[in-house]
Amino acid sequence: MSDETPERLRRTMMFVPGNNPAMVKDAGIYGADSIMFDLEDAVSMTEKDAARDLVYEALQTQDYGDAELVVRVNGIDTPYYANDVKAMVKAGIDVIRLPKVESAQMIKDLVKDVAAAEKEFGIKEGSTHVMAAIESAKGVLNSPEIAAASDRMIGIALSAEDYTTDMKTHRYPDGAELEFARNMVLHSARAAGIAAFDTVFTNMDDTEGFYRETKHIHQLGFDGKSLVNPRQIAMVNKVYEPTQKEVENAKNVINAIQEAKMKVSGVISMNGQMVDRPVVLRAQRVMMLAKASNLVDEEENYIEK
Amino acid sequence: MDSPVSEIHLRNPSDYKRWRNFLESLDIHNFSDKEVQKIDTTLAIFSGDDLVATGSLAGNTLKYIGVCNKDVVSGSRFNTIVSALVSREFQQGIFHLFVFTKIKYSASFQHVGFNELAHTDDAAVLEDGSPDVNDYLNDIPKIADQKGKKIGSIVMNANPFTSGHRFLVEQAAKQCDLVYVFVVNTDASLFSTSERFYLVKRGTADLKNVIVVNGGDYMVSYVTFPAYFLASSKDAIIYQTTMDARIFKNIIAKGLNIDVRFIGTEPLSRTTSIYNQVLQRQLPPEVEVDEIERQTTDGNYPITATAVRRDLKDNELEEIKKLVPLSTFDFIKANQAELTKRIKEGMNINGN
Amino acid sequence: MEIKSTAVAGTLESSDIQIMISKGSSDIQIDLESDVKKEFGKQINQVISSTLQKMGITAAKVKAVDKGALDCVIKARTIAAAQRATKTTDKPAWEVL
Repeated sequence: MSDETPERLRRTMMFVPGNNPAMVKDAGIYGADSIMFDLEDAVSMTEKDAARDLVYEALQTQDYGDAELVVRVNGIDTPYYANDVKAMVKAGIDVIRLPKVESAQMIKDLVKDVAAAEKEFGIKEGSTHVMAAIESAKGVLNSPEIAAASDRMIGIALSAEDYTTDMKTHRYPDGAELEFARNMVLHSARAAGIAAFDTVFTNMDDTEGFYRETKHIHQLGFDGKSLVNPRQIAMVNKVYEPTQKEVENAKNVINAIQEAKMKVSGVISMNGQMVDRPVVLRAQRVMMLAKASNLVDEEENYIEK
Repeated sequence: MDSPVSEIHLRNPSDYKRWRNFLESLDIHNFSDKEVQKIDTTLAIFSGDDLVATGSLAGNTLKYIGVCNKDVVSGSRFNTIVSALVSREFQQGIFHLFVFTKIKYSASFQHVGFNELAHTDDAAVLEDGSPDVNDYLNDIPKIADQKGKKIGSIVMNANPFTSGHRFLVEQAAKQCDLVYVFVVNTDASLFSTSERFYLVKRGTADLKNVIVVNGGDYMVSYVTFPAYFLASSKDAIIYQTTMDARIFKNIIAKGLNIDVRFIGTEPLSRTTSIYNQVLQRQLPPEVEVDEIERQTTDGNYPITATAVRRDLKDNELEEIKKLVPLSTFDFIKANQAELTKRIKEGMNINGN
Repeated sequence: MEIKSTAVAGTLESSDIQIMISKGSSDIQIDLESDVKKEFGKQINQVISSTLQKMGITAAKVKAVDKGALDCVIKARTIAAAQRATKTTDKPAWEVL
């Protein structure tokens, strides 16, 4: 990813059961940054074919706005995998999410299948991206090579249910059991320059717990979280919303960039100090979040509330 | 938020108790072992810890459907649970389904694709899937210009086919251009459906204007009609016979242009006698009911299939000879060992 | 393509449509149940029959129970039911999807 193409926001990845027409149809209206149609765990074995057909047809006709469209296909070792991948590539999906990834080779195999499908159906080569879900101890330990396995990779996600089972534990409110995995996945993502997604939080009645967990993963540096209920979208966005001070600082940096472009030297400076690259990147990211949260006007000035 | 549909196990006492309490709160009260034991699968939806919808499957029949609509869009849970039940049947390759329900729920079932076959004041029978009753009627042989001809009909269990049955068919055949003999399709009898069908066919082979037809799922013997959702057994018997009569009149007779239904007088069985009365009340004027005096033996005993089965149990082959046509006698003689074995293994020889 | 056995796809839940396909004699016969049959019955039937035709199915009996499905859902369920009825689920009809 070059400096000129700003990364996209991936605060919320909403899971949509692939065989539920009402949810597939309405998935676009909640404002999720990414929509993940699920052909795997949310679909019973007898309905795998029907779910694939449904998601395919919906992708042809439904308007999901600017959301990034992701499909979780069935695992490589299942009889559904091959047709899932082909159908979704043909449908022009943005990202294929592979579950239970444990090695870079699995991503390489997926990429090979994706490339073959692009060729078969006349889809632009390289237009289908992939991401990996890490659901086991092995996956966590191999996550650096998994994250870097292909230039089609856009992200890596931690899936805690299977992971905690593999670790002979289960989920606790404080999330201590996930600390190592979260940091591994996050570091792998950052080192490879791709996005990091945190796991789902399933207890819809525990709003406080959801905020606590979201604030925690925000603090760690995750791009966002996987979600099972549209109600959680606004909650995540709220956590990721920059403060007024952050927005104003970012605006100052952006102003400095624009001034620098007009100057002969091209050096970006603020208050007589040189502004280096990380500061610029952070400012751009804050501004992107501010726009998504409707905190700034068209000229990127903070809207006083 | 409602849970996804899940299976519950009635053998598990706590599940059973919860299920039964819930249905009783919805005014379903018959939990006789006979009905409950037929259940293959029970599905449920929970809201938190509360059971809010359930339905069961017994063979090709949906049973014990109960839905609480508190706090939700009316009908959504009903659709979800029925949908799940129907899918279960389809997965097992059962594509033709029935539901017996209170009349007030008939519209809800029609709304999800079921077709009502008949209803009484308080109950309804509906079917869904394929092959349906139209397919059934289409497959029955017909004669040219059937509408203008006099068409007779007899419904019999023929367990087994006796001289009394033969006499009834002969009388009907004399009066009509064509007679349909429907053989009740249930394997709860000593003689299996295919055996009974074969015996009727053999025993009427010389009558050229008689067509023997398997009664399929529509000539439901009133004994097999479930009635778990009705309060008393008296209601049940009236409901069962009335429903049977209405399906016959509205669907079978209409589809085949049947003018007359022939029945034999019933001096012995109380339920059959009630059944005959209900037929007399329900079928006319569209379908005439012609009650033919039942044949008796030389000793003036009515010829019944029950008597044949008793003689079979008692090994009285010579007695049987007096009660049945030769074709039936030959069959019994050839299969005596097997039939006796069935009786010994507990096959009920009383009833019909 | 030949219908080998009766098959169903879809549910009776809101926004879905349940399609049952069985052997037919000569053409495509559709028996539709829908709250919006008067307004959209023709269109629903059209989506079903054109999808079947594209799959090379010319004779079939279809029973459809519509619960307010969009065209894309009708098409998806018809394809799924038809592939199940023709026992070709393992080989998706790429040209029809």
